[in-house]
Amino acid sequence: MRNTETAVSLCVQPIIAKRVLAALSAVLTLAMAMLPSQAQQSAPAATSDSSAGLHGKLLQVPVTTLAPGGTNPRPTIKTPPLDDPAAAQRGMQAFNALNCVGCHMANGGGGMGPALSNNFFIYGGEPENIYLSIAQGRPNGMPVWGSMLPDPVIWDLVAYITSISKAPTPQWGTTVSASSPQIQQVPAEDQQTASPWDNTESFTKGQKPD
Amino acid sequence: MKDDRQWPMAAKNYANTRYSSLDQINAGNVGQLKLAWSFSVGPARGQEAAPLAVNGTVFVVAPYDGPNPNQVFALDAVTGDLKWSYAPKPNIAAKGVACCDVVNRGLAYDNGKIFLNTLDDYSVAIDANTGKELWHTKLGDINQGETVTMAPIVVKGKVLVGNSGGEMGVRGWLTAVDETSGKIAWRAYSTGPDSEVLIGDDFNPHYGWLKGKDLGVKSWPPDKWQIGGAGVWGWISYDPDLNLIYYGTANPGAWNHEARPGDNLWSSSLFARDPDTGMAKWAYAVGPHDLWDYDEINENILLDLPINNQTRKVLVHPGRNGFMYVIDRATGEVLSADPFDTVNTIKSIDLKTGRPVLNDELTPKLGKTVKDVCPASPGAKDWQPAAWSPRTKLLYVPHQHICMNFQTSEVGYIAGTPYVGATVDMFAGPGGHRGEFMAWDPVARKKVWSITENFPVWTGALVTAGDLAFYGTMDRWFKAVDAKTGQVLWQFRAPSGFVGQPTTFIGNDGVQYVAMMSGVGGWPGVVANAEIDPRVRNGALGFTGAMQDLPAQTVGGNSLLVFALPKTQGAATQPNQTNPGASNQGNAPTGQSNHAQ
Ligand code: HEC
Repeated sequence: MRNTETAVSLCVQPIIAKRVLAALSAVLTLAMAMLPSQAQQSAPAATSDSSAGLHGKLLQVPVTTLAPGGTNPRPTIKTPPLDDPAAAQRGMQAFNALNCVGCHMANGGGGMGPALSNNFFIYGGEPENIYLSIAQGRPNGMPVWGSMLPDPVIWDLVAYITSISKAPTPQWGTTVSASSPQIQQVPAEDQQTASPWDNTESFTKGQKPD
Repeated sequence: MKDDRQWPMAAKNYANTRYSSLDQINAGNVGQLKLAWSFSVGPARGQEAAPLAVNGTVFVVAPYDGPNPNQVFALDAVTGDLKWSYAPKPNIAAKGVACCDVVNRGLAYDNGKIFLNTLDDYSVAIDANTGKELWHTKLGDINQGETVTMAPIVVKGKVLVGNSGGEMGVRGWLTAVDETSGKIAWRAYSTGPDSEVLIGDDFNPHYGWLKGKDLGVKSWPPDKWQIGGAGVWGWISYDPDLNLIYYGTANPGAWNHEARPGDNLWSSSLFARDPDTGMAKWAYAVGPHDLWDYDEINENILLDLPINNQTRKVLVHPGRNGFMYVIDRATGEVLSADPFDTVNTIKSIDLKTGRPVLNDELTPKLGKTVKDVCPASPGAKDWQPAAWSPRTKLLYVPHQHICMNFQTSEVGYIAGTPYVGATVDMFAGPGGHRGEFMAWDPVARKKVWSITENFPVWTGALVTAGDLAFYGTMDRWFKAVDAKTGQVLWQFRAPSGFVGQPTTFIGNDGVQYVAMMSGVGGWPGVVANAEIDPRVRNGALGFTGAMQDLPAQTVGGNSLLVFALPKTQGAATQPNQTNPGASNQGNAPTGQSNHAQ
């Protein structure tokens, strides 16, 4: 929590800082409290590994697919289990509480930040890429979160983003026309879920869904 | 500057009429209007800027993206030759804290200088002849969620600039910067103690409930005024006789109203201030304790109108809440307020108190979805400015027609991140269309004619002494309509959809030009110019729901389009063969002209 305090007091007016801290630590306490025992086992494993092992390896994760001289520099990364629905569920709570939702929007539809609801990622869609995007921030307006959030919270966010990005891909590319796309998600006001692509309906072209 | 060869500020003049007395192009010959030249400003994001023109030079500013964000261009109005360009030093992180596309609404010209506001909160003065930087002043902080998107206006040697960020928990302000030195002359906050809102002994609002000490603090829960939004990102008008400037403030933060019991002054309010000192003369809270993100930053058009057999100095404010306000601009008294689109959130405006009479059935409750709220968060009309013709005595109002489902949620403030607390899902209003261009009579208080459009009409309007009104559509049509009847007389199919502001001026060849930026974007248009998923209705603060089919019509663009009549009129070309928009040539106008009974 020391990190959190430094990061926050640096970037808010002093008078509000106290209340922000309260709000934030509530979020973090919540996030930590929600860690079930299994995740707690795997998360600390990742964390203790982290200072030297995992974090060291994360530094080697490339943010491009161009590798000169035919090398394959991508290290093998052992991330905490990401297909755990509980992790995605916790990630959703954190996504809302940390205001990721304000920039990326409900179900990651995109707004001030790009859509996270599809399988295209500017900075790479592997779990370690998503981890790094969150921890380091990204130049075109993605804030840095690594100094504020403990590792397990970031991995929960990765689990959630991996889950919401599972858009159906009827073909390799994307056709847009009067009859495509054909589906849309059931909107977030009607379903609170970490896997919104499980529930789709006909594309309504700007009209009210029935 | 009463010289209609020029278009020196986005709104054309201090009264914000966007009326030009030029009439070379008129209802009789507009069918022959042709593209004279075009120019790419670079980034293919929302082109909301008004092209200015002074002494035969056109000045325009690009959105905040690409290698040279907010680059400014000076071009010869006749030839399109590029005279100079100026690119401010970029801080691209600013893009992440701009709520609704990385737009810029235009420049201002005064005294040989061009004034630019950058998205990352600088105000810059540039020599209009050479493009050399004269000064730059930092006015805000992106780490507090502050950006600047508005067009500046210069009044009595002061450049007036306000901040955006009502979705980021900013504290709104209007700042006056000395046009010569670049030094801040005064700053008036929209919330907080009177000393910082610049409310003094001279302050005299018309309504009793707006009188009292430090209402900008007391109408909020403790400290919430510090993150209460109320940015200033719209239009400023100026009455030299009364020596008052007029502008509106944005929505309060968070959108979740249960986080901020109270009237939340002075958010969603109008201010009249002395431009020399910044001191407020009166204020009027259009939307006390706003529930829906109804900013009231929309333009205030200064007119002298015959009302009850008396000429009254009024301002006309087409409200985001869907009501057309006529307000005495000396006192702040509301003279009339009439709905101009589908409104079910507000029943009426009580003229005794000035307060809206709300439809309590729709009041949002934490976690509960309120359905079919009209108008949606962008209002029945957003920033896109109307125009007034003294010839037809009509107001030309571009606007949208959208409703929504709205669900509030808990939200905590973290500086530099959004402070919203609402899940929004918008869709077309009754009838299925999403926009309208209408002529409104503010004295008779009624719609005279209207053209319905498939998408929101997100461009400003222009009206001329040629009795033509101009506007653009998001599906790529630039239209000239008969200002008296609304009949579409000419239209041009453009590279990208329109969200800009049409202007007109005279080049050094003595010829009248009409200019307009093509490049879809803005809040409704990001779904077509940025990586936003049309299948997720709640994206773009809920606007995706209403705009998800826009990418099937257009993608982003970046073109300045400049139109003129052919040099030798009618000699080389026959009007009807060259009219790209003639309705019998397959390019049928998409808008329907409806005459109100
Ligand atoms: C202030 C707005 C903002 C907030 C808050 C924000 N993001 Fe972002 N995010 C962005 C922007 C803008 C980008 C794109 C940056 C770029 O292209 O350089 C981005 C990029 C990303 C990416 C990379 C996407 C890709 O295509 O590679 C991920 C993952 C991401 N954000 C997750 C998050 C998470 C998780 C949170 C909350 C902890 C969050 N963001 C909070 C604006 C934001």
